[in-house]
Amino acid sequence: MEKYPNHIQFDQKNQLTTVSFDGIIKETDGTLFDWKIGVSIYDIHPFFEILKSFIEDYDPSNAEFSFPCIHFDSEQTEKICDVIIKLDLNEIAIVLFDYTIKYKEHNEIAQQKNESILLSRELELKNKFLLEKEEFKNSFIANINHEIRTPLTSILGFVEVLEKTQLTFEQEELARIIKRESHHLNALVDDMIDISKIESGTLKVVEERFSLASLINGFRESYSKIAEEKQLAFDINIDSSIQEYIIGDRTRLYQILNNLLNNAFKFTEEGRVTLSITKNYQRTNKLSLNFKIEDTGIGILEENIPHLFERFTRFNLDRQISGTGLGLAIVKNLVDLFNGEIKVDSQPEKGTTFNLKLPFKFEITKATASPQRKKKKYKLPENKGKFRILLVEDEEITQYLIMKILISQGTFFVDIAINGQEAIQYIERRKYDLILMDLTVSKIDGFQTTNMIRNNYGDKFISEIPIIGFSGKAGEATKDKCIRSGMDDFIPKPFEQEDLLYKITRQIAKKAAD
Amino acid sequence: MTLSKKVVFLGHFGVGKTSLFRRFIDNEFSEEYKVTLGVQIKKKVVVLPDGRELSMIIWDTEGHSDSVQDTRKSYLLGSHAFIYVFDVTREDTYKNLNKDLEYLKKTYTKVTTKVIGNKLDLVNEKEITSHLKEMEIPIDCLTSAKTNKNVQNFFSDLAEEITK
Repeated sequence: MEKYPNHIQFDQKNQLTTVSFDGIIKETDGTLFDWKIGVSIYDIHPFFEILKSFIEDYDPSNAEFSFPCIHFDSEQTEKICDVIIKLDLNEIAIVLFDYTIKYKEHNEIAQQKNESILLSRELELKNKFLLEKEEFKNSFIANINHEIRTPLTSILGFVEVLEKTQLTFEQEELARIIKRESHHLNALVDDMIDISKIESGTLKVVEERFSLASLINGFRESYSKIAEEKQLAFDINIDSSIQEYIIGDRTRLYQILNNLLNNAFKFTEEGRVTLSITKNYQRTNKLSLNFKIEDTGIGILEENIPHLFERFTRFNLDRQISGTGLGLAIVKNLVDLFNGEIKVDSQPEKGTTFNLKLPFKFEITKATASPQRKKKKYKLPENKGKFRILLVEDEEITQYLIMKILISQGTFFVDIAINGQEAIQYIERRKYDLILMDLTVSKIDGFQTTNMIRNNYGDKFISEIPIIGFSGKAGEATKDKCIRSGMDDFIPKPFEQEDLLYKITRQIAKKAAD
Repeated sequence: MTLSKKVVFLGHFGVGKTSLFRRFIDNEFSEEYKVTLGVQIKKKVVVLPDGRELSMIIWDTEGHSDSVQDTRKSYLLGSHAFIYVFDVTREDTYKNLNKDLEYLKKTYTKVTTKVIGNKLDLVNEKEITSHLKEMEIPIDCLTSAKTNKNVQNFFSDLAEEITK
């Protein structure tokens, strides 16, 4: 032991032990661990197994080894030591320096540092997972939307066909119920799409110039009928100083007001529904409007008001009153998108008032009124006899429905192609006045087929055939894509007979006029 | 006579080296993350298929944050096997793995090196396997210290390999 005085010069506790080449402890001072002389060091701690390799590869020029931060656990205590091992021809000297306190302090710092890195990584992963989930949900909703709208088109279409047949009073009533419920299902799909768009942040408020008066008149027309049926008064008051033409998102404003008016009429059995629009303020080209929708309906319990704008919230469980429970959630989200405000006051059995504050813009220069857009009437050319339509559709039920609608008019012949490839074969063999093109047919889809028709033929009878696309994927984006790909119009599923016939007639009439 | 072999765990911090160590030695697992400072050493005796006993001296080293070269050289002295562990949920723990392996194989030519992707319970096995294949990560085993998936088999195979 006297040979190693240099190892005992530090403040920390340390222990010097000498071991023979067969691993037996020759001497130890026992400062840190109570090791017994004559015991094999290999039985004390597995760390010392390392000595075997040092002995095996003994090299006098490289005979000192240091190991920092080795954990020595014993039943009583845990020590963290730096270890120096020195070999010479006779024995092995092992010096342990106890740095437990210092290392434990380091440990705390390392723990905090690593934990914060791991936590941030975990949050990144959670975020990624949520985004992927959101993406999956949105694509799921988009797909289910298509899957629901396709059979819905058939149901609505066939009910309309059915309504034109000789029905008993009871059958008429049943057909009316099927139609009402189908429209309700369609509205639910629309709401789901909107909610999904709002959540994914893909719903944007657009700015367009529109006539507020005309929008409100639309409500006057549609809700007056309901008011009359329910024997309710329906008043609309508009501040006369509000500009007729304002700039904002007409579609979304319509959606907000329509939802609130629809609710007001739904939950009011006597009294009145009032829509009031006043100016909040006007600065430069900015305009803030207040919309108040008041009813004298059943009202809402105070405890339910905080949950009113939550999704799938329905406080009235009367099954006779239809609703998806999404309407007010959409309203709230749309109002937020507008950077507007919505407040509700309600008293049970007395009625409910929704107050909305929404920002718009207006043109400072004198506005020239846009002509009222009315549905222009079109007539099929009279001198031609029957018109030949090619229906490109792979679903039998939709084929049957459209055939039924068109043939019942007595002015159309209809051929059916079940995919884009077949459609091309048909148009090469026969002259068509119009093509009704499902966008998702197999082999060559509707867009590609249109592209081929428009670009691959010198014969104008083929390349200029009017094409109307149709799909369960409703929305402006789909319509835009159709027009960009060379189609003349688009009709979303489910469609009303009247709309389908209007669009077909318009395209044929326009083509004849060219 | 019992054979004795030194096996060293290497890899980034937080990849589950200590969890695998505890799972193999004591068949225990804890969700709580506790940083390893320096090295902890434990021994486990395994019986080889031919009936011999092998004393595996497992060194659970402090994880590095960048490269395996940050690990103290003295910890690697006299090793018979390295187990390089990475976390399948953290790409930063395996994106430089090939470089680390190249260094280990070049510097410690006689040491068997194995690669483990741990925390398999948190991912889809098929997806991660194909992702690692795409990234050309040479894995020997995917494990979960939490569920004990593949842990014992991995060590049995390793014991056999290093005693051949």
